[in-house]
Amino acid sequence: MSAFLVRTSAIARKELLHFLRDYQAIYLALGMPLVLVILFGYAVTFDVDRADLAVVDQDHTPASRHLVASLNASDTFRVATRLESAGGVEALFRRGAVKALVVIPRGFGRRLERGESADFQLLLDGADGTLARTILGYTAGITQAETLERLRQAGLSARLPLEPRVRTWYNPRQRSALFIVPGLVAFVLAIIAVLLTALTVAREWERGSMEQLFSTPVGRLSVVLGKLAPYVALGFLQMLLVVVAGAWLFDVPLRGSFLLLILATALFLFCVLGQGLLISVITKNQQVATQVGAISALLPSLLLSGFLFPIENMAWPLQWIARIVPARYMISCLRGILLQGRGLDQIWPDLLAMAAIGLVIVLAATMRFKRRLD
Amino acid sequence: MSPVIRTRELTRRFGDFVAVDRVSFEVERGEIFGYLGANGAGKTTTIRMLCGLLPPSGGEAEVNGVDVARDPSAVKRSLGYMSQRFSLYLDLLVEENLEFFGGAYGLGGAHLRRRIDEVLELVELGHERRALTRALPGGLRQRLALASATLHEPSILFLDEPTAGVDPGARRVFWRLIRALSAGGTTVFVTTHYMDEAEFCQRIGLMVDGRLVALDTPDGLKREHVPGQICEVDGPQVHRALELSRTLEGVLDAQPFGAAAHVRLDPARLGPEGLLAALERGGLQQINVRPTEPSLEDVFLAVIETEGRRS
Repeated sequence: MSAFLVRTSAIARKELLHFLRDYQAIYLALGMPLVLVILFGYAVTFDVDRADLAVVDQDHTPASRHLVASLNASDTFRVATRLESAGGVEALFRRGAVKALVVIPRGFGRRLERGESADFQLLLDGADGTLARTILGYTAGITQAETLERLRQAGLSARLPLEPRVRTWYNPRQRSALFIVPGLVAFVLAIIAVLLTALTVAREWERGSMEQLFSTPVGRLSVVLGKLAPYVALGFLQMLLVVVAGAWLFDVPLRGSFLLLILATALFLFCVLGQGLLISVITKNQQVATQVGAISALLPSLLLSGFLFPIENMAWPLQWIARIVPARYMISCLRGILLQGRGLDQIWPDLLAMAAIGLVIVLAATMRFKRRLD
Repeated sequence: MSPVIRTRELTRRFGDFVAVDRVSFEVERGEIFGYLGANGAGKTTTIRMLCGLLPPSGGEAEVNGVDVARDPSAVKRSLGYMSQRFSLYLDLLVEENLEFFGGAYGLGGAHLRRRIDEVLELVELGHERRALTRALPGGLRQRLALASATLHEPSILFLDEPTAGVDPGARRVFWRLIRALSAGGTTVFVTTHYMDEAEFCQRIGLMVDGRLVALDTPDGLKREHVPGQICEVDGPQVHRALELSRTLEGVLDAQPFGAAAHVRLDPARLGPEGLLAALERGGLQQINVRPTEPSLEDVFLAVIETEGRRS
């Protein structure tokens, strides 16, 4: 074995021992992915499930009761309160007791019987924009179905002039978990890898062991590679943990190639571990490294990666910044591989982008990493 | 015999501050070379430059014939370094620390295992092999650090305050190890501020404010810087004895020394008996005057005083 390999593996072994003796790090590395899968999988959902609805039925006819019943019958709504007038609804909105109010005016049923157009009012709590938009969409859908049903009963042609026939591929029931879990792999890897590696070099500067290490003929490439190696292994473990937990809890599929998943993970780890190392090399201080690491890993991979919000909808400066966020390419790869079954021929631009970003970061970290003390 | 360490006008500046100021000296093979000085005198900075950890701002330094500024990596292969702060890994076992630093020096396999056995035997730590480093007391940690610095059989050892904060018994053991290494042909360059330890060194360099102000054997330093006869004066009124001594004809110097005082006499003009008589004439009782050998602390104080007058 060459001296370079001896030195690099000595550092990797030592780093692994540090990790195995640090219970906090183990909990962070293996516990946090599971917690996040459960948290994000169940809590972060754009699906509306049983949104509480208030109803003011001023009509009291079979027609009005039928409308309320059909709203209540869907999984989207649950009629929580019946009010005499719309006046009390503001207090309910403020308390968060209901998210929407349906007002069916007097004469609703009579107008329907006469074949006239009958209005009802939908009042939305716009404080939660996502929820309001979703409720609006569902209500429109239910109303449209009701309208067609009435036309059919009246013996009229139950056809709209324009009608989309929707089938959603890859996520036919449009479950949020399928959208969230692949992104979560990138999110978990980014945070934990950056945090753990940001600490490794800073810790040695603080404890004075870096000086001892530099008095040996160890080269900086040995230090960099040796320190990263155990965290690469850990990263693969975390990726598997999230993917398996996602499959088990939320039926997240793996439609593409497992090898491709490994390749994408490797390139992404290269980027995020390099990022942690760069922070560590520059700050030389555990506390600062942790804070810089947390912010620089958390915010971009949460907000600028397409994890929760589509990059296409962002203002152009943010879109531009998002180009250098490695999580963005990883999330695109993950959704492609897990949900769509994409192959190398389609995701290679993402892989290439991650390789380029990673190379720049690791080179910068190695260059900044002086083997001297000044 | 050719020197294994040679510096010429070696200088290190940090901004405007000159930590090491044009220092020149040579250290012979197998020598125990003591580097003395107060905190901040430039001892650690000198060692770091000699170990290739810090580039000099001026002058030259050669270690084992290699210029430290030009090829720090080559320098590192032939030396062992023990930094001032204990810097082995506390969460690793004793033997894991040795395995790691052995690996860092490029040792592996059977050779490394044999060397670990040897250094553990040398520093008498074989029984603590599987102990967690955190659990070792200070004295044993220092011995482990020494073992780790000698794994690759370096020809020169740099020890920066190796016994700082270690109890006297452990310090004695440590110096026995240093002498054993030196007897085996290893050159030892050691900094300390314990004057009693400095007596073990074959030659001593004295640093004051970044400058090397004295360099000789302990005896040579004493002859040069504290000429005359030193007398230790003690009794219940040491302070008055000091004041009185300073007024006497034939007293070169009088300094407090621990709980007693050291009074230096010009033997041609005043002997110890004369000093005792003069003190008793001055009204002091129960006073003891005992001729003694000058210590390195006397040297250190004399040099500091000379330097203070010069600047």
